Amino acid sequence: MSREIKMVRAAFLAFMTCCLLAVSGLGQSASETAPVSAAKITQIDIAALKQLMKPNGKPRLVNFWATWCGPCREEYPDLVKIDEQYRGKIDFLTVSLDEPADKDTAVPKFLAEMKAEMPAYLLVTNNDDEAAMAAVSKSWNGALPFTILFDPSGGVAYVRQGKVRIDLLKAALGKYVAPSNTAAQK
Amino acid sequence: MERVSMKRTSLLFTAALAGLFFAASSFSQGLSIGSAMEDFTLSDTNGANHSLADLKGKNGAVVVFLSAQCPVVRGYVSRLNELAAEYQAKGINFIGINSNATEDLNWVKSNVAEYGYKFPVLIDKGAVLADKLGATVTPEAYYIDAKSVLLYHGAIDNDRSGRNVTDMYLKTAFDASLTGKKITRTSANAFGCSIRKTAD
Repeated sequence: MSREIKMVRAAFLAFMTCCLLAVSGLGQSASETAPVSAAKITQIDIAALKQLMKPNGKPRLVNFWATWCGPCREEYPDLVKIDEQYRGKIDFLTVSLDEPADKDTAVPKFLAEMKAEMPAYLLVTNNDDEAAMAAVSKSWNGALPFTILFDPSGGVAYVRQGKVRIDLLKAALGKYVAPSNTAAQK
Repeated sequence: MERVSMKRTSLLFTAALAGLFFAASSFSQGLSIGSAMEDFTLSDTNGANHSLADLKGKNGAVVVFLSAQCPVVRGYVSRLNELAAEYQAKGINFIGINSNATEDLNWVKSNVAEYGYKFPVLIDKGAVLADKLGATVTPEAYYIDAKSVLLYHGAIDNDRSGRNVTDMYLKTAFDASLTGKKITRTSANAFGCSIRKTAD
C-alpha cells in the first residue's frame, strides 16, 4: 500500500514538474513576441488633429510620419535629439499615418527602438486624406514625412515636406527658444 | 548719357529679376490643370528611349510617378494594372516614371519585373521631369488628353489601403473625359512617399 502511495506521489511530482516547465516555456515565448515598448499611442480623428495644431503658449512642432516611410525612419533619430534638446521649451508631438492595426504593434515598436518620448498619435482619416492635409497646412500635398513648426501665436515658422533640414529647423526654433545646454552638446 | 545708361541697366536688372521670379514660381508650382505637358524623352529600364509623343494613346496618357520601395505604391500596383488594362484599350496609355535618386537602375528593373506593370516605366534621372511637373509624392498621377492638356492631377483614389475605396478619382476623370463630360474633380492630394530627388 505504502509502495502504491509512493508511486502515486512520484507520478504527481513528475506531472507537476512537467506543468511548471511547460508554463515557464510558454512565458518565455510570450515575452519574446510581445511589443518591445509600452509606448502609448493615441488614436485621433481629423477633428482632434485640428485641436493639436493649435499652440498653447509655446512653439509647437508636429511631425507626420509612418513606419512604412523610409525617409521618416531615417530622420527620426534627429527628431529624438531635437526633443531632448528642446524638451519643456516647445511642444513636440508626432502623428503617425500608419494603419489603425499598427497602433499597438509596429508603431510602438519603432518608437521604442528610437527611444522616442514625444507624445505620439495615430491619425485615422476615414477616407478623407485631403481634409487631414487641409487641417494642417496648404503647403502639404501628401508626401511623408511632413514637419511643421508653429510659433506661439499659431503662425507657421517652419515647414518641410520630405526629410527635415535640422540646421534650418534649429534656426527657426532659435527665434523663440534656445536648446538646453547639456542636451545641445549631445 | 550715363543716367540713361544707368536707367537702362536698372530696367534690364529689374526685368531679369522678374524673369527669375517668374521662373522660380512656375518651377515650384509645376504643371497646372488646363496647361499642356511638354514632350519629354526618357529611357526605360533596358536603356531604350521613349518620348511622351510616342507613348501617348489616341485619347491621352497617364504619367504616374512610382517607387520601388514605397509601400503605398505597392498597395496600388494591382489597381494601377487593372486601370491600365481597362483604359489602355480605350486609348489612354499609362507611363510609369521613377524619379527616386535612392533607387538604382537594377533595383527599379527587378521591381518592375516583380510588380508586373502593364505599362513602361521610365527613369527620370535627376528628377528633371518630376521638378518640371511639380511631382513630389508616389504614387502621383497626371492625366493628359490627346493634346497633352492636363485634365487631372493627384491621387488615384481615396483609400491608399485599397480596402474602402469610395471615390475612384482617376477612373472617374477617365470616364467623364471619354464621354465628353466635364471632369468635376480635377485634383486630389493623397498621403504617399516623398520622391527622393537626391541620394542623401
